[in-house]
Amino acid sequence: MKDLKPEDINIIVATDCGSTTTKAILIEKKGDEYRLIVRGEAPTTVEAPFEDVTMGVLNAVAEVEELSGRKILDEKGKIITPSNGNVGTDIYVSTSSAGGGLQMMVAGVVRSMTAESAERAALGAGAIVMDVIASNDKRLPHQQIQRIRQLRPDMILLSGGIDGGTTTHVVELAELLSAADPKPRLGIGYQLPVIYAGNINAREAIKNTLLNKVDLTVVENLRPVLERENLLPAREKIHDLFMEHVMAQAPGYKKLMTWTDAPIMPTPGAVGLIMKKIADEEGIQVVGVDIGGATTDIFSVFQGIFNRTVSANLGMSYSVSNVFAEAGLDNVMRWVPFHLDERDLRNRVKNKMIRPTTIPQSMEELIFEQAIAKEALRLAFIQHKSFATVLKGVQQQRTIADAFDQTIGGQTLVNMMTLDMLIGSGGVLSHAPRRHQAALMLIDGFMPEAITRLAVDSIFMMPQLGVLSTVHTKAAVEVFNKDCLIHLGTCIAPAGELKDERDILKYKFEMPDGETIEGTLKYGEMKKFPLGLDEKGDPLKAKAILEPLRGFDLGEGKGGKVEKEIYGGVTGIILDGRGRPFNLPTDDKIRVQKLKEWMITLDIYPNEALERL
Amino acid sequence: MRPRISTQTSNKTYALILSILILSFLLIPIPVLAQQDTLPPSPPTEVKAEDTPNDAGGSITIIWKKSADDIGVVRDDNKVKGYEILRSTRTDGEYELLGKTTAGAESYFDSHARNNIDYFYKIRALGLVSLSESLPSQPVKAKAQWVDWSRKYTFLLALILALSIVYFINQSKTGKELFIRKIAGLEAVTDAVGRATEMGRKIFYIPGISDMDNMQTIAGVTILGQVAKITAEYEAKLEVPTSRSLVMVSCRETIKEAYSNAGRPDLFNENMVYYLTDDQFGYTAAVDGLFVREKPAAIFFQGQFYAESLILAETGNYVGAIQIAGTGQPAQLPFFVAACDYTLIGEELFAASAYLSRDPKLLGSLKGQDVGKFIFLFFILVGSILLAFGVYDLRVFLR
Repeated sequence: MKDLKPEDINIIVATDCGSTTTKAILIEKKGDEYRLIVRGEAPTTVEAPFEDVTMGVLNAVAEVEELSGRKILDEKGKIITPSNGNVGTDIYVSTSSAGGGLQMMVAGVVRSMTAESAERAALGAGAIVMDVIASNDKRLPHQQIQRIRQLRPDMILLSGGIDGGTTTHVVELAELLSAADPKPRLGIGYQLPVIYAGNINAREAIKNTLLNKVDLTVVENLRPVLERENLLPAREKIHDLFMEHVMAQAPGYKKLMTWTDAPIMPTPGAVGLIMKKIADEEGIQVVGVDIGGATTDIFSVFQGIFNRTVSANLGMSYSVSNVFAEAGLDNVMRWVPFHLDERDLRNRVKNKMIRPTTIPQSMEELIFEQAIAKEALRLAFIQHKSFATVLKGVQQQRTIADAFDQTIGGQTLVNMMTLDMLIGSGGVLSHAPRRHQAALMLIDGFMPEAITRLAVDSIFMMPQLGVLSTVHTKAAVEVFNKDCLIHLGTCIAPAGELKDERDILKYKFEMPDGETIEGTLKYGEMKKFPLGLDEKGDPLKAKAILEPLRGFDLGEGKGGKVEKEIYGGVTGIILDGRGRPFNLPTDDKIRVQKLKEWMITLDIYPNEALERL
Repeated sequence: MRPRISTQTSNKTYALILSILILSFLLIPIPVLAQQDTLPPSPPTEVKAEDTPNDAGGSITIIWKKSADDIGVVRDDNKVKGYEILRSTRTDGEYELLGKTTAGAESYFDSHARNNIDYFYKIRALGLVSLSESLPSQPVKAKAQWVDWSRKYTFLLALILALSIVYFINQSKTGKELFIRKIAGLEAVTDAVGRATEMGRKIFYIPGISDMDNMQTIAGVTILGQVAKITAEYEAKLEVPTSRSLVMVSCRETIKEAYSNAGRPDLFNENMVYYLTDDQFGYTAAVDGLFVREKPAAIFFQGQFYAESLILAETGNYVGAIQIAGTGQPAQLPFFVAACDYTLIGEELFAASAYLSRDPKLLGSLKGQDVGKFIFLFFILVGSILLAFGVYDLRVFLR
């Protein structure tokens, strides 16, 4: 990076080289704050016939040039740095997921302990974890060797044993690697990068075992004691090796690497980074989702711990059939307020799979696609909850009071009651015809409890902001809050169950214009109140005084009164009285009637279109 | 001067009158009482003898209406002091004395009858000095019954229990997921073994200090089988010090089988299980010493424990091991709960094997037994409520 102080950075260009498109953004300092100026997009050119990623980057930046009027590229087609007046940029950063992103295998001794920590390190670094090898994964050694050979990952993270712990198990894993003699996916003739982040006592034995077989790098143990993870050294090394080995082998990346002022990061790793930054800066608990065509990534920060999962087979186009198969027809159709022929439905799903770029052309198709999205989100979140857990294998301290309430170790960190913000991104959420639809998809997919802010990433610039945050945190955070997110509003959902439609919540909102809205919410009812954005585009705030019924919880215990400042957005305040855990009415007529009622109340679809269905 | 003669006369007259009165009071009842003692009490009536129902034969039940002179309790003023039960094989034959009962009794149980012989019974009321006999009963034979109907409810409950066990075993075999609530201590078994594997340290399994005739030891050894299977899969080091030779042999066989089932017979070593001493505190001291020297990563206490429970568990806690205890000894549970990571309480110890192995037969039995327990608990609850409201006899209450 050039020797620029953060305060001297006024113009920033950032790109994200995705599998299909390369997205560029231009950020400028306006007065005291950094704002997004324009964005440009062009097809990614990593594949044949171009086989040079920089061509796509230049095309995207050229679009930014055109839209902003700023000259960024010189005559030779190179990015001009530093900026001078209306020419050039101070820094240029980039992320990449082109060519399938970073594909890794991880290995550890016990599946739920060091192997899981290794998986967490790899996922957090933005990798797709192809497989997890563990001593107790119930596979025979020859099956494990065969698997390592078949998958051809970009790199392997080997861990196992605490410091001073087992060496035999870790060396056995290294022997498996040695026997498999794995080859990297890219770059024929290169040795596969292997990071060893296990028991320090086993380092010598590992080195001896893997000598001349792989390109071994040793870092600090990612689980020095069972009570604590130390994922940062392994993650940083993954990023380094991603640059050195993976990116260096991909077409055009060597050139791109010379242009950037910060190391190129894997796209999901950068998204995770900005999420963690925002959560840390604002002291909030965040869940983010990126629902793509083939995969769904979920990021969460609870109690300051960042977790990311990739549901590799849950997506809206390539993987849509799998969503349908995993969720089941009934689960998808429960969100649809009309009846469709099963054969017709299956045809629609398969069509979407073989023609992934098609978008819904009718109201029925839109409702159906959004129903699938809700199920994909729900399933991906279930996977995430089971992965984002407290560490397993840790000694518990008890008192006699625990006699009948012994909590099981490895509980999930995800607590919907304390979740402050839910951020969605990905085509189906970001490009929904109405923002309210994105809000309802997030609510139905994640079932937030108590008070939760909802937002969508407007143009999916979180990756660029993530990598920018490594160089200029202030700019990244400001643009994230002001331009990246489209604030949808706040969802207020009391947790609890009832059998009849009684009042479950007394609410009072003191709106910014001095108006007071008061009323009660019935069980099974949804309501929406407008609370928009100010002239700067920031969400308006209102004071909410909420008194739930005795059996219902809004974060202050059952029946506890809550007084809190809530944020508005393009949708506003949504009161969700459907209870948690949520159950749709089993009677088909009532279900359809209820779905329509909620959709009309929240203004999800045009009413006349709903009436026609 | 006072007239002395008149005074003397008056005193004599009074003495005479008083003597007559006292005599008449003493003498008048005598003939009445004497008359009552000599009269026999009214005889018992309606003597009926019948074969005792729901038995294996050899007994006859005799019932009668007590004498009209019997006030029903044993007291001095009761004219009937008791009854004698007489038996004969002929109505006009010689009656032998069978037994005696107190006043107020109205039944007798002849447990010395022989099957298929006609018996006649008479009841003799015993007065103070005389007695009276009832008429003989109708002839009756003692017989064995095929079915003891008095146990029909026990049979019904056993039938429900057996059927529900069979039903749930079948359900489990067909692949239906049987719900068993999560037991934290058992969920943590893999974590404990995993911890030992990662740390490269030993796992100690303590099967209690009782012998193989104790149900808790048997449950503990059964759980050992499941734990050993996991240690075989994880290639972790397992050690079982025992205080009974029979337990040692059983544990060895259990572990050997578990390692074979896990496909790792090569990892089994007889010396994993060894005998220390039968002495309670000798054993405790030895095990504590092992804990301190070996610093195991996981310790299991599963079986019957007494005073050594806290000594062992505290040492285990001190060396930083994950500890999972299980015992049916209520007195030791608080110690285990406070000092261990997880504790299986009572029933959980016996359910552990089914829970861990997920074997359809064991799971089905567990669920079936739950049905039985639910029925028993239901009746205990109903009974307690009825008693609380003063209902002691349901038949009377329903009438």
